[in-house]
Amino acid sequence: MTQAEVLNLIAQRTREILPGLDAHQFVASDRLVELGANSVDRVEIAMLVQESLNLSISRIELFGPKNIGELADLFLEKLCVA
Amino acid sequence: MLPELAVTGMGVVSSIGKGKAAFESALLKGDSCFGVMQRPGRQRDSAYIGAEMCEMHPIPGVARQTMRAASLSAQAALLVLDEAWNEAQLSEVDPCRIGLVVGGSNIQQRELERIHEEYRDRAEFLRPTYALSFMDSDLCGFCTANFAIRGLAYTVGGASASGQLAIIQAAQAVLMNQVDVCIALGALMDLSHWECCGFRSIGAMGSDRYANEPKLACRPFDKNHDGFIYGESCGAVVIESLESSRRRGLSPYATLRGWGIAMDGNRNPNPSLNGEIQAIQGALATSRSSPAEIDYVNPHGTGSVVGDETELMALRACKVTDAYLNATKSLIGHGLTAAGTVEAIATLLQMRAGRLHPTRNMEDPIDSSLNWVGGKAIDHQVENALTLSMGFGGINTALLWQRCN
Repeated sequence: MTQAEVLNLIAQRTREILPGLDAHQFVASDRLVELGANSVDRVEIAMLVQESLNLSISRIELFGPKNIGELADLFLEKLCVA
Repeated sequence: MLPELAVTGMGVVSSIGKGKAAFESALLKGDSCFGVMQRPGRQRDSAYIGAEMCEMHPIPGVARQTMRAASLSAQAALLVLDEAWNEAQLSEVDPCRIGLVVGGSNIQQRELERIHEEYRDRAEFLRPTYALSFMDSDLCGFCTANFAIRGLAYTVGGASASGQLAIIQAAQAVLMNQVDVCIALGALMDLSHWECCGFRSIGAMGSDRYANEPKLACRPFDKNHDGFIYGESCGAVVIESLESSRRRGLSPYATLRGWGIAMDGNRNPNPSLNGEIQAIQGALATSRSSPAEIDYVNPHGTGSVVGDETELMALRACKVTDAYLNATKSLIGHGLTAAGTVEAIATLLQMRAGRLHPTRNMEDPIDSSLNWVGGKAIDHQVENALTLSMGFGGINTALLWQRCN
């Protein structure tokens, strides 16, 4: 899987939680909090992406990424390990 | 006598109509829509009959993401609250003086069952919001996050009397000056196949004798009744003092003159004549009304053989025998936790319309000496109405409503 594919997945799952972002063009530097996702929305989005990738990542590691590009990288790294 | 309390706004959703106008029109026409239930999670090798609501989206003023995250019960709550809120012009009231009492407990069983099934073998992916959504009080969260209610909000449970209990609690919150305006919401009880199975096993839910004719299954007070038929519904009523309603220039539907609550000391589902008499007498006493003044009764009337008979015995024992009666459940089914609120709304709408709705499937009443509204609506100006609810666990409630002149 490429970063672009994971980013696309994050975008898709984010739109499910925040339907207002239907028309938003997601880029790696987007921060979920700035897109209007509150703390519960963010943990929901992260869980939905993990479910799609069949990955389980500890909550502590998920605090690291500062934008969705870094989040995609974290998922990619875990995919490679798995 | 209690200070006068008035209902200044109402919102409702049911299988026969979304919103008061559609609901009232369908009631008076005698519409119903019973069939084998289709909502996911309602059946498992079964064909339970019931009445399900149509699609609820969208609600003006409630964000799409809120509706997406909300359970069916929460969506229905937001919908009826929006209608009642606008009618009672609550945006002009200090939010700290507005309260909300949600009637119902264990109301989201079908949603929970679906989540448990979906994540049974992969608990690590359970949606984090389950920590919020499994609680009934999540409805308080949804409602207060979307409407400016900052006084109080909590749930009260009394099985099928929950809807009336919410009205009584809301009335008490206003009387005790905790808030100026309090909304009572009878929550939609979202049954899964498990609860249907339990209700059927214990003999409360109607059998499958009408499996091939679902429209005939729900028949309160008819000799061929054999249990309740479930129907999805939800309603909200806004309660404030009559004085406050006048100051705000509103024209109330009716005043809530009195009520009764009585426990009959019985954990089981069977009704209690003494408990019902005590609740009715409580409502008559607090409102200082005589039985002869009651000219309309909206009974609990679920279609249960022993329940229907006991209720009519209680009305006779209290000498409430001249009033007209019909059975709202014959049209919309039994909303369980919602029933007490939704039937109060049906009562107040009939009061304002000056017409009483028909009772479906009343071909051979168990007591033909009473003034039933049968197959056709009739004109009648209700002056004083009595509405009744009873719940498992031995709870009996009665509300007494008076026309506003």
